[in-house]
Amino acid sequence: MAALPKRILKETERLMSDAPPGISAAPNNDNLRHFDVTVAGPDQSPYEGGVFKLELFLPDEYPMNPPKVRFLTRIYHPNIDKLGRICLDILKDKWSPALQIRTVLLSIQALLGAPNPDDPLANDVAQNWKEDEKAAIAQAKEWTRLYANGE
Amino acid sequence: MAKIPRSFRLLSELEHGEKGIGDGSCSYGLKDPDDIAMYGWNGTILGPPHSAYENRIFSLSIYCGDTYPDTPPIVKFESKINLPCVDQTNGLVNFSRVASISSWKRDFTLETVLVELRRDMASPANRKQPQPPEFSEFPPLDLAKLAKQRK
Repeated sequence: MAALPKRILKETERLMSDAPPGISAAPNNDNLRHFDVTVAGPDQSPYEGGVFKLELFLPDEYPMNPPKVRFLTRIYHPNIDKLGRICLDILKDKWSPALQIRTVLLSIQALLGAPNPDDPLANDVAQNWKEDEKAAIAQAKEWTRLYANGE
Repeated sequence: MAKIPRSFRLLSELEHGEKGIGDGSCSYGLKDPDDIAMYGWNGTILGPPHSAYENRIFSLSIYCGDTYPDTPPIVKFESKINLPCVDQTNGLVNFSRVASISSWKRDFTLETVLVELRRDMASPANRKQPQPPEFSEFPPLDLAKLAKQRK
């Protein structure tokens, strides 16, 4: 494999030695651009107590283009679909090369604390969220208990 | 070149497939939109014009195993078809009988497979092959099980 750009090496090093609270990210041995990630559900959110697995990939164009990220753990959230794809502006048109893996993961963690049903990716979830927020939150808690238990 | 992991490769293929490929003569999509591992896919090929396959829509099942795209997917015609690369007992495609994809490359996609199969139908050697009655099907087959056996 071609040598990794210095920026990626540095980011990786810092993620391993000094990860943000509730977040872990480690590259795969056979592909150093492909990271196994976990994000803990934020306190006071329906995802509290859950540990969510994600995967992240740095394409050739990184950091000019954003990383690719998706959830591997099932999650009931209006901005995350059944395949784990995430609707988050900084992963799309609001990306800037000044952002990092670290900031992306923190933003994803923040998204768990602030679901936005007005910009949905999972339409059925968003609709439920708008019509009956209490029921939606109960469902999100239930899924967290079922799927995000770290097993 | 960064090596795109299986999952992100399949997600981008999915998005590409949802938009529709080229002239619409081939299409594909996930069998189960909830399948986070993206194993099972459906495909269709519209029989090429001026051939024995003209005006028929051929349905296929495709299985992208854990080692895709390093190894080819398992491809099976559901619609009966008389084509040398297709096993007449079960509809499985024998890649070694399709010259253009017989030596698999990582940058081949599901689109490549479908387009090349269609090209194979239109080839001078095959275009006049007598075809079984329309709407007949090969017997079903558990491609997931088959993938495990091949491993």
